[in-house]
This record gives sequence, structure tokens and C-alpha cells, in this order.
Amino acid sequence: MHPAHFTQQLVCPDCDALLEMPDLREGEKALCPRCISPLLTNPRNSLHRTAALAMAAALLFVVSNCFPFMTLEAGFRHSQMSLWQSASGLEAEGYPYLAGAVSIFILAAPTLLIGGLLYLLLPLLWGRRLPGAVTLCRWVLATRRWNMIEVFLLGALVSLLKLGKLATLTLGISFWAFGGLIICLTAALVSIHPRELWARLEMPES
Amino acid sequence: MKAFAPDSAAARGLALCHVCYLATPVNAGHCPRCGSRLHLRQRESLQRTWAFTIAAVVLYFPANLLPVLRVESFTGDYQNTILGGVAEFWQHGDYPVALIIFGASVVIPVLKIIAISALCLASRTGRRARTMTRIYRITELIGRWSMVDIFVVAILVGVVQLGSTLSIHPGAGALSFAAVVILTMFAAMSFDPRLIWDAAARAEDPPQL
Repeated sequence: MHPAHFTQQLVCPDCDALLEMPDLREGEKALCPRCISPLLTNPRNSLHRTAALAMAAALLFVVSNCFPFMTLEAGFRHSQMSLWQSASGLEAEGYPYLAGAVSIFILAAPTLLIGGLLYLLLPLLWGRRLPGAVTLCRWVLATRRWNMIEVFLLGALVSLLKLGKLATLTLGISFWAFGGLIICLTAALVSIHPRELWARLEMPES
Repeated sequence: MKAFAPDSAAARGLALCHVCYLATPVNAGHCPRCGSRLHLRQRESLQRTWAFTIAAVVLYFPANLLPVLRVESFTGDYQNTILGGVAEFWQHGDYPVALIIFGASVVIPVLKIIAISALCLASRTGRRARTMTRIYRITELIGRWSMVDIFVVAILVGVVQLGSTLSIHPGAGALSFAAVVILTMFAAMSFDPRLIWDAAARAEDPPQL
């Protein structure tokens, strides 16, 4: 039995319609009949797929933090920027709050998401739940909206064009790893529904 | 007295846990699965949403009037506001980039503030509940893209370290603009779209006196 069927009643979070839990087949999704908000999905192999994507995201995140993100050349001068330097540069210029916000959006939030997903999902593959899983799951779900890595990538592309007239910018390994990270992390977050994650955490042995 | 739609969970005393989506009788107090406090509706939803929105509107002025970026180069110094940056791309013929920045930094925040105000009004009248709920979902999704200009500033400041040849510094406008984006995200989070459906039910079936 699919764990999402554990509770019999389904309530729409957007319009509070009280519904019966539908019997979704793999690949189907349920919309609220009253306000047409998406309610429930049942992706194929969600647990294994999400765990695999989260592991790939973890590797790519490490790579994007170990190599230069962008290199700038103007005449004989040359400077490099790693991912975290985009935040620390603001701090050095006297904008600690802005630096804090940027580091939350592109460093802290993805770290918590990837680490949290691995901590929750890997034990679930063997039907176990590690201590603190419920608290961590709340944090992981709340962090999703503050993860802005894809917006940062758009910002990087705009910066390329902005500086293109003044200097030569080249993209580093970190940039490409970051692009891969966006794909893997977004796919990981889409391939498991929060309702399913909670249901599985509640009864890990099923 | 609050009236709920007859087919709503609240009318049966069921609260949806806002953290783990479990439907539980509200008089249980806490969610049996994750321990969160249970409420039929988000507490002080409208007050909080208005407070965040008004704060965002106030900060929207310095965000657009103050420079976000100061460039010092051997050809001279200049400052850029958000709109100035858009104009610069436009003058260089980079129309797609100019439109992306204009959309993300000007259109989305303004639309978002208008949309949230419209949602707050709709939660009193209950009109067009389905459309309004869709507007709410779109508002929640697109707000983050306004942050793109802040990331451009962060990247330019981080990568351009060429001493006397060329240097780029952040401006106070960037701080205000980031605050506007974060405040509108909090405003959207505080809003409870179920209030629109409660109002719609009241409008359809006014309470008998």
C-alpha cells in the first residue's frame, strides 16, 4: 500500500475543501475540484529517485564550492571569484546584511536542503528513521522557498553581459557544476511530495 | 462569529496541519504527527500581510531612488540605480537582458504588491475565489526572481577586484531592494487563501439574524 493513503481525509491547503483521499496510480496527480490547486502527486519510484538526485546534488555542490566560479581579465590584471566570494565581497564592502542574505539564499539553504534530504531519505531506503527526523523535515520543507540558486545563475548570466564591454569574463568549473546542481536539486524536490515524505517518516517500516 | 463553507474542513472542526498536511480535529491542540500547533486559519493573517506589504511599499522608494551599484574606472566614476541599469542595457541594444531585468526588478515587485493587496480585499468580499487562489499561487512562485539584481551586484562586486583600474561597490539601494523582495515574500507567506473561500461562502449564504 502506498504510504500517502495512510490518512483517509485530504484537505486542500488553499481552499480548505474536505475531500476523500484519491487512489492515485504512479505518475498521476490530484487537483482540488474546488480551487484547482495541485494537491497530491505520486511520482514513480519517488524515494529512490529523490535519494539519487540528492546524492548527485551533494557532489555537484561540493564541486561548485571548490573551484572558481568566474575569472575576470582586463589588460594584464586578473581576478577570480569562487561562489562564497560573491557573499564575502559584499561583507568586505560594508554590507553585512546583504552578504548574510546572499549566503543564506545560495549557500545555507542548498546545504540544508541537500543534507536534510540525504539524512531523511537514505535511512528510509532501509526502513529506518534517524533521531531528529521530524524537526529536520520541518526545516527542510520551510527552506525550499529560500533556496534561490536558479535566480543566482540568471544573475551570473546578466553579469557576463554587463561586464562584457569592460573586461573578459570566463566561466569556471564551479559555474557548470552549479548549473547541474540546479537541475538535480530541483528534480529532487519535485520528485517527492511533502505529504508522502511525512507519511513515510511516520511509518518507516512500510 | 466566523462562518466557514459547509464543505470545508473547518466546518467539521478539522484543521490541516500547516507543516505536515495531516487533517486533525483542531481541539487536539497539537498535530499528532509533527507536533506543530493547530489552527483552523493562519493567525492574524490579514494584519501580518498588510504590515509586511506596507513596509515593502515604503522601502520600494529608496530601493529605486538610491544607486545599487557604483563603478570606479579609469574612464570615470558612475552610479547605477535599478532603472538606470535597465536603461543602460537598452541603450547598448541588449533588449532581451533589459527586458529580463525590467521584468524581474520592476514589474514583478509592483505586480506582487498589487496582487497581495487585491488578495487581502478579496478575503473580505469573496469574489472570484478561484481566480484569486490562482493569483495567490503565482504570487508565491514568482517573487524570488526579483532577487536577480541583488545577485548581479554580489557577483560584480565579488569578481571585479582590479585595484585602481576598475572597482565596483554596492550601493544602499541594493540593501533596500533586497528588503523589499524579502518583505513581499513574508507577506505572501502570511496570507491565508482559505479566507477568500470563507468570505465566498458568507456572501453566498449570509448568516440569518
